[in-house]
Amino acid sequence: MVQNKSFSGRLGKFAIYTFVLISGLVCLLPLCNIVAISFSSSEAVAANAVGLVPINFTTDAYSMIVEDKQFWRSFGISVQRVILSLIVNMIIIVLMAYPLSKSKRQFKGRNIYMNLIIFAMLFNGGMIPTYLVVKNLGLLNTIWSLVLPGAVQVFSIILIMNFFIGVPKSLEEAALMDGANPFQVLMKVYIPISLPALATVALFSIVGNWNDFFSGLIYMTKVSNYPLMTYIQSLSINIQELLKAGANASVLENVAAVSNRNLNAAKIVISTIPLLLIYPMLQKYFITGIVVGSVKE
Amino acid sequence: MECKLLVKRLSMLSMTALLTLSLAACVEKSDSSKPVSENGEKVLTMGRVTSANPKLPQGDSYEDNAYTRIVNEKLNVKIVDQFEAEGDDYSRQVALAIASGELPDMMRVDSKDELKEMVENDLIEDLTTYFDKNASDYIKEIYESYDGRSLADATFDGQLMAIPASIGDEAPNMIWIRKDWLDKLGIELDTDGNKAITLDELEKTAKAFLENDPGESGNPVGIPFGSWLNAGDYGGSVFAMTAIAEAFDAHPRFWLEDNNGDIIYGSTSTNTKQALGVMADWFEKGIIDPQFGTRTWDDIIALLTNGQTGISTGPWHIADWVLFPVRTMNKDAEFVAYALEDENGKVNVTHNNPTGQFIVVKKGYEHPELAIEILNLFYDKIPNSKDLKTEYPEIEKYGKLGVDGSTRPFSIEVYNSDKLLEEFSYIKQAIDGEIAIDDIPSAGVKIDAQSVKDYLDNPESAETSTWSKYHSRMHGLGMMKKLSEEDKFVWTTPAYFGTTKAMGKKGANLAKLEEEGFIKIVTGTEPLSYFDTFVKNWESQGGDEIIAEIKAELAGN
Repeated sequence: MVQNKSFSGRLGKFAIYTFVLISGLVCLLPLCNIVAISFSSSEAVAANAVGLVPINFTTDAYSMIVEDKQFWRSFGISVQRVILSLIVNMIIIVLMAYPLSKSKRQFKGRNIYMNLIIFAMLFNGGMIPTYLVVKNLGLLNTIWSLVLPGAVQVFSIILIMNFFIGVPKSLEEAALMDGANPFQVLMKVYIPISLPALATVALFSIVGNWNDFFSGLIYMTKVSNYPLMTYIQSLSINIQELLKAGANASVLENVAAVSNRNLNAAKIVISTIPLLLIYPMLQKYFITGIVVGSVKE
Repeated sequence: MECKLLVKRLSMLSMTALLTLSLAACVEKSDSSKPVSENGEKVLTMGRVTSANPKLPQGDSYEDNAYTRIVNEKLNVKIVDQFEAEGDDYSRQVALAIASGELPDMMRVDSKDELKEMVENDLIEDLTTYFDKNASDYIKEIYESYDGRSLADATFDGQLMAIPASIGDEAPNMIWIRKDWLDKLGIELDTDGNKAITLDELEKTAKAFLENDPGESGNPVGIPFGSWLNAGDYGGSVFAMTAIAEAFDAHPRFWLEDNNGDIIYGSTSTNTKQALGVMADWFEKGIIDPQFGTRTWDDIIALLTNGQTGISTGPWHIADWVLFPVRTMNKDAEFVAYALEDENGKVNVTHNNPTGQFIVVKKGYEHPELAIEILNLFYDKIPNSKDLKTEYPEIEKYGKLGVDGSTRPFSIEVYNSDKLLEEFSYIKQAIDGEIAIDDIPSAGVKIDAQSVKDYLDNPESAETSTWSKYHSRMHGLGMMKKLSEEDKFVWTTPAYFGTTKAMGKKGANLAKLEEEGFIKIVTGTEPLSYFDTFVKNWESQGGDEIIAEIKAELAGN
């Protein structure tokens, strides 16, 4: 009986591990494939011959990217956008989440603000009205058109607000007792204690801004102003769709020259590097909350 | 404590510095509101269609390149781009410009429906008088070569509301066959040398390729077709069954007028049914790729590149952009192009939509005549320049660099209807030594002729780019020329090219119905008699409504 149980337990564990392994591979293999394509010759790629190992190893694609001025220009714009958005987002998130985490007794009208925010999250203005606002503010073709429309991240605010609510009241009371003002309480108590949560929303902001290509398409009217993801998106053209729309010979010839799959793969690889570098940097903040052990019950 | 304060101050300082820095670093912005710039030049704001790979030389941009500089020099006009984008992104920018009520002075419109909407909303300028007065005789001649079809497309209530692009005919859909394989297996096609083969000959060739595997791939497959099967025009007919339909005088995806003057949809005709019958028969025999329907674009290219198949259908220019990896992988690869003839030895083709793209001028723009002036400059004066090198040295340089045509202010083509045949004649004469390459008037054709010559001088070691030009010009265009000289073409002029209201609403659904129905018939999931069911469904799900609309519209004109 005992043996039997441990056998079924082992089987269960085996099943779990296999499942995890398979899901891991499903995520990893396409990435490996892209890396392999980026290092293969374009003929091998055209012949669909590349799997997980590069064929006819070459770094041609990468040397071509080094010479692609627009790629680096867009790269710079994206970096600038991520940094600015991160600063703006974090300031707004913290400054909004803190008061909203207080009870209705302490902050009259809290619910009104809360409802307004949630309403705005659920029902936004839509693409064209938002475009008109951005345009009339004179933000078209500026970096701010990529930063300001996404300045208030409602989801992150609610997340941090809930985290703040969960912080033991006694910590705040102790600080107030020692003569701290509300701002000091926020800076000295709430923020240090909430680093894991803040790191999470910071990551949301970075990843979201880095990967977003659509706002670049709308608010930037010139290719030279495109952020990186918009630029990469503009290079991956679906020939089939183009044919249905009826394109002429010179357009198609041009498209074929650009839709160089190994070159595009190399661009994707390079574009993921910054995010790969940022994850380990934020990793240390994800270590379990410091709240544990701060209060003696 | 002191130290902590310092750190705080420093971080504060760097934060503000960063913010101001980024404020200053706002990406460049152009001022497009002024009608006249400082030095008295007229300012022209434009919406520009770009290309991902314009091949512009260092320092040049869409706004500032040899073409825009020529406009500035000759017409004293400074072009300022209100927006630049390509494909769907361009359409989105146009939509946004319309929504915000700030159209650029001139821009390209990519469909007749969009144009119609702009006319109805009174957004664009009437160009009739300017065209009549300012257009050069050569430009007028080009448009006349279409028997008025081209200008009529941009004319509303007798007024010319836009400058239509005019693309010449690109028929027929060609069968491209590996010539090196034919030689290897000793197959003789087209013994009468008229560049057209029959369905039987094609079937036999495909069978021979399947049985003998001349590509030594170990896994030969039949003729590959794209799951879309048909295209609305010849330029897009890559991996389409258009050629096989032509052999039955069927014209799927075109709106035609039958003998009784009724409007019919080509895909629902009995001729198309016959063509599908052949396709289904071939699929069963393995003449058609057994995985037809599931292959993507890249998969089919891989089949050709790997030497698994040596037959492909497509327009004259596919050697330039679809077939070239075949040659990069295999130096000996060579193709030959044939048309498919019907029982009477004729090749049934349709005229292309002559226009499709338009240049419009914003209502109220002060200098509408500039649109015609630019048209004259780029589609008459420059291409017809006797001495491009001295008259327009920069543009001559662009031609050599292969700079994309989209960098011209108007990203449209204005050709006369048999421009391609004309081009071929020049190249042929140059290759035969009847004229010198330098005597060819058009810079682009000059370069093509040089490429073809380079390839013929040394086929084995020639660059793949010259291989491409040789195939598309000498085989592709050469075949078109041969067929038209021998009067093998039977032309059909489609009755209608636009989009009606019901088409806008139900078109996507009907197209899906058609695509799925055809795939089912070809793969044998449904018998050929299912075609009649498809036609019935098509008619009831909106087809009849569309036909009624087209009739009403044609009667109204």
